[in-house]
This record gives sequence, structure tokens and C-alpha cells, in this order.
Amino acid sequence: MKRFVLALVFVVAGIPVLTGVGLTLVEAADPAAWTVVFQFPGIGRSFAVSVWTGLAATLLALGLAHLTVTLAGTAAGAERLRALTLPFIALPHLAVAIGLALMLAPSGLILRLLSPWATGFHRPPDWQTIQDPMGLALIIGLIVKETPFLILILLGARAQVPVDRLMLQARSLGYGRLKAWWVSVAPLLQRQIRLPLAATFVFGMTNVEMAIPLGPSMPPPFAVVLWQWFTASRLELRGPAFAGSIVLLVVALGALASIWGGARLTRAALCAYSASGHRGTRAAWSGRLLALLPALSFVFAIGAVAALGLRSLSPMWRFPAVFTDHLEVDLMARAAPSLGTALGSTVALAAATALLSIALVLLISEGLSDDSIWRRRVEALLFVPLLLPQLAFLFGLQSLLVRLRLDGTWAAVAWEHTVFALPYAWGLLAAARSALDPRLVLTARSLGAGALRSWWAVTVPLLLRSMVLAGAVVFAVSVSLYLPTLFAGAGRVMTVATEAASAAASGNLRVAAVHGAAQAIAPLVALCLAALIGRSVFRHRQGVPR
Amino acid sequence: MRPLILQQVTVALAGHPLFQPISLTVEPGVVMSVLGASGAGKSTLLAHLSGALPPAFKARGHVRLGEESLDGRPPEQRRLGILFQDDLLFPHLSVGGNLAFGMRPRAGGRAARRDAIGRALASVGLAGFEGRDPATLSGGQRSRVALLRVLLSEPRALLLDEPFGKLDAATRGHTRQWVFDEVRRHRLPTLLVTHDLDDVTAAAGSHVELKRYMEA
Repeated sequence: MKRFVLALVFVVAGIPVLTGVGLTLVEAADPAAWTVVFQFPGIGRSFAVSVWTGLAATLLALGLAHLTVTLAGTAAGAERLRALTLPFIALPHLAVAIGLALMLAPSGLILRLLSPWATGFHRPPDWQTIQDPMGLALIIGLIVKETPFLILILLGARAQVPVDRLMLQARSLGYGRLKAWWVSVAPLLQRQIRLPLAATFVFGMTNVEMAIPLGPSMPPPFAVVLWQWFTASRLELRGPAFAGSIVLLVVALGALASIWGGARLTRAALCAYSASGHRGTRAAWSGRLLALLPALSFVFAIGAVAALGLRSLSPMWRFPAVFTDHLEVDLMARAAPSLGTALGSTVALAAATALLSIALVLLISEGLSDDSIWRRRVEALLFVPLLLPQLAFLFGLQSLLVRLRLDGTWAAVAWEHTVFALPYAWGLLAAARSALDPRLVLTARSLGAGALRSWWAVTVPLLLRSMVLAGAVVFAVSVSLYLPTLFAGAGRVMTVATEAASAAASGNLRVAAVHGAAQAIAPLVALCLAALIGRSVFRHRQGVPR
Repeated sequence: MRPLILQQVTVALAGHPLFQPISLTVEPGVVMSVLGASGAGKSTLLAHLSGALPPAFKARGHVRLGEESLDGRPPEQRRLGILFQDDLLFPHLSVGGNLAFGMRPRAGGRAARRDAIGRALASVGLAGFEGRDPATLSGGQRSRVALLRVLLSEPRALLLDEPFGKLDAATRGHTRQWVFDEVRRHRLPTLLVTHDLDDVTAAAGSHVELKRYMEA
């Protein structure tokens, strides 16, 4: 059983990454390709923008997340914060980026709300508020998406540490709330958030979903340059694209190393800070003022969704009107005739990915239920796709799919989606599995139930709620995936993500908004359904784990 | 009922036995106690007897029920009832569902099983509790349901892992006496693992002590 499970993990999750990176290395072994990469005009600036936006967004989002979790207070507040955060995590990066573009642009929602009564503008000013050369809009976008994610990670890590007692102790020694958190709790959480933090950093530097609508364009961030080369029909750009992917991979490895090194430095700094003896007490109002910052990131996300909705329902969105004269759903269909098809395949793919991921995690965690060492190894392996730049192995993987004649098939896309969904499904479901008291299954078996009946009649019902939640989260992940769909689908599998991205890239924000709105709503519907189901099953059984 | 027999039984981790091999015979209706400090390997011994030893451990010696060898058998074929410190009622099943879980299919079908459950509950003062959520029962009620569940599964011997440890003082003596009475009534050979000397006295059987293994 264990060998079978490990082999399964390797085939499903190991092979795509290994062959993806391997084939990328092989295809990049052409000196001419490297010359093209390094002679590309603006390459230095493009690179600098990637690193700067990724780094700034990750650090700011981490700070905001710490602040939010501190201000949430005790365990009860943490639970409320978790429930509040989930829907924001489910929003796809691409949809949020398109929504933010519609909100922040000179003709966007914010200036419409202020015009003309406050600004005096009757036409959009000639400002560069999105796609600015410094990448500030891109940084805002990344912060809006990554803060909720890091909050959830911190909440998970928080549960492993006696936070409430540590805080009480530090505060009774006279420390203010924030300083108490930084000196007594934060150092203990550092180890546990390292991997997700690294994933955030790598994604920030190498993503295209947010960089296409929000990032600078002359030159764009390096990942977008590579994406343009990969999707260009000119074959001579393939070699340079592969070579560039290797550069991206090296940068990501550097990022991982810097997170490790940075964690050590921070730890030392925090210890020195706590040794200073300053108690860091401030007036209560300053804490409340600080709370506005994370709240702002949530408000921006809501604003982005509102802008998506307004833009997709408005055939003509004349400045400075917020609402169009005639909201017409019918016109929405005319503006994006592909919406029905794209949404259908999106939902089908996401449902298939959810079923596949849950089945795999159930099987793997059952096979490894008495081996915590291998469980940790498998967990680390499943996490690898999130730690690497997607571009560094997806195109190599596509070469493999072409060789297997699987490219452009639904099976290939569902497989790749599963590779990216497994870490999330594992995090939710395998954790619930190992939290189950093993004596429950032993009791069932001593009462005469065989291994299969014990699993079916005891383990599965007790995991049902986690399965439903994991299903919804995986659904959301699948809906949000753009590059895996584009590459494995070879342009033949059309989802709201691929449609929204290509519309955004060609500057058609109306069509992008229609698909982006659908992309934002689908995961929210899945989460609501999951919440309803989770509440109704075992309603009369208080002891069943949440 | 047949006696539960242990012959030179010990459990080794990485080649090192945890305790000196023990040999004993538990006659039907007798509660024999195994004493040992915490960490002496009591729970590991019980895990071995129940057939659920983690793969890192290796068992030595033989376990028999009368003439029947239990060595290497999976838990569901041993038919030894186990009671833990926690009652471990299945939280997703009703009280009745928990009791039905371990019952063997019998002639008369569903109705006969339902009657048996009703009678069993009534016999411990829990008449009409079939539909209740186990989470809503008191500690004493839960441990009664847990023992009923084991008894209804018609075990051939009983393993008790400090089953009274978490009950409050008032309930403990009463529950303990009731469990031991049931053991005698059903003539079950019973092995009680505990570090509480009161348990040993109340069991009124002999006891053995787990001793740390010393290399010769």
C-alpha cells in the first residue's frame, strides 16, 4: 500500500515538475538563445521590475498580515478572521487584477466616484495610475491578493503555538499589543510560514496574471516578456523563451535562499529588539489607525469585484458615470459570445480537478497514516510546484505532453490543474486525517469491521466536512489557473481564465471584465455551497470535527 | 469462553525490547491487571494484543485464546473488545447507531437488532436513548454506552486501557464496579492495564507488573 501510494505521488506530482524542468534545460541548451535573452532591449529594467515588485509586495503583505492577525486578538477573533478571509483567497488573481485596473485607471471607478464634484474632471485625466513604470499598481494588486493568503497561513501557524498565553504573559510584563506580538509570538511562527512565504515571493516575481493588466509595459516584467515569447507564433523565440525560463528559475532559487537567510536575520533582529526593554506602548487610537491598513486591502478587493461587475454590465461606460444608463445582461452576452462555452469548460474542469484531488489526497493520506516521516516528505514534494516559477516547467511539460500526444486534451489540463491543487487539498484534508484519533479506527476494527468498512463507515464520514471545504478550495484554485490551462490546453481548451487574460492583453477590458466577473463569481458560489453543505451535514451531531 | 494466554510476550523497538517478557493466563470472568509506570509500554502491549501495533514495533512471544493462536491476525478477526480512557463513541452516529455498529448480523434481522439495542440500553438505565447524539451524554452515560457497544459485539475477551482514568471520583467507583460485574456475568477473560492501584484492588484478581527490560 505504502509503496503504491509513493509511486502514485511520484507519477502524478513528481514527473510533471521533473520532466518540465528537465526538458526546459534541454531546450535552453542553445548559446544563440541566450544571446537573444541578454540582448533584449530593456532586459535589465524588466528584471529589476520583477524583483522589486515581488519583494516589495511580499514584505508589505507579510507586514499587513501580521498586523491583522495581531489585531484579531484571541483565538475567537482568529476564527472570525479566518471565515472573513476565505472568500478573498478564493478570488482569482487575474480577476482581481482586471478589476483593480478598472478601479485604479484614470477612467476607473475611484475617479468616477470623485468626479466631477470633487475633482472637477469631466474626462479622464492623463495620469498613469496603472501599468506605471515603477510597478506600483502591480504591487498594490499583489498586496491585495497575498495579504489574505498570508493571514490564513499565519492563522494556521498560530494554532500550533499557545498565542493567547504568550500574549498575556508579554502584556502583563508591560508590553504593548503589537510589540508583544513581535517579540513573543512572531519568532515562533517564522519556521512554519517559511514555505508559503517563499511561494508568495516567487509568485510575485514571476506571475503574469497580475502583471498583464497592472504591470508596466515598456518593458514589462520579465515573466511577461517570456510569456510573450512563448505565445508568439514566431518559432525563433522559443529557444530564448526556454533560456529565459532558466534565468527565472535561478532567480526563484535565489528568492528561496533569501527567504531562509532573511528569516534568520529577522529572528536575530527581533531578539535584539526584545532585549532593548522598550515596552512599545502607544495610545489605543494608533492601533485603530493601523487597523485601517489591512482593512484597505480588503476594501480594494471588494472594489475590484464591484468594478468588474459594473464594467461587464455596461455596454458603454462613459466617464464620469458610475452606472451606465441601461444595464443590459443581454449585451453582456453579445460582448463576449464565448462566455457560455468558457464558463462551462471552466466549471467542468474545476469539478473534475476537485474530485481527482480529493480522491488522491484521501488515498495518499490513508496509505501514509502511520508514517509521519513520509507524510512530511510527500507534503514537501507536493509543495514544489508552488515554489517554482510556473514558466520554468510548464513549457517543458508541454513538450512532454506533445510527445505523449496529450497536449490540448482535457485530461492533460485536468492533470496539470491537479498538480497545482494538490498542495491545497493536502493542507486541508491530510491535516484533518492526521488529526483523527487513530483509536477510533482501531475501535471500529475491534468491533469486527474490516479495514475497508472502517474506512468507509468511520474515517470518511468524519472527514466529510473537510472534504467539502477542500473541494471548494480546489475548485477555486482550478478556476484561477491561467498558465497551466494555456500551455496544457495548447490553446484548444478555453476557460474564463484564458479568455480574460487574452482580452486583457489585447486591451479589451470590457471582454476581460465579463470573463473576469465570471471567474470571480464561480469560486464564491462554490465556497457558499460548501459552507451550506458543511453546515447541514451532521447538524445533529455536535462531536463531528468541523 | 476460553482463557486469554500470553506466552513470553514483549514488544521491541529498533531491536530493543521495551519490557521484560510476560507470561500469564486470564481465566474467563477474571480481571487480571497489568501495572506499570507511564512509559513502561502498557499501551504498546495493548496495541499488540488488539492487533494494531505500529509497523516500527516488532512483537515477540505468542498470544492465544484457548488453543487458537492470535499471532499476526488483524483486529477484526481477533474479536477482542477494547475500552480506552476516552469512550471513543463514533461522533457521527447516534447512540443506537454506535451500538449497532459492532453487532453481528443475526436471524430476525433489523427488528431483532433494534430490540436487542433497546433492551441493552434499558438494562443500564438509558431506555429511549437510541436517537441521542453521543456528544450530549454525560461522562458516566458515555462510558456505559461504550461498554454496551463492546458487549453487543460479542467479544471473546476484553482489553481495558485505563478506562476509568477520566471519570470524576463520584462516577468512577460506580462505573468500575458495574464494568467488572458485567465482565463476570459474560465470563470474559479481561486484561486491565492501569497505573491506579485502586483499580487493581477493585478488580479483585491477580496482577503482574511490566518491568523495564535489562540487557543481560
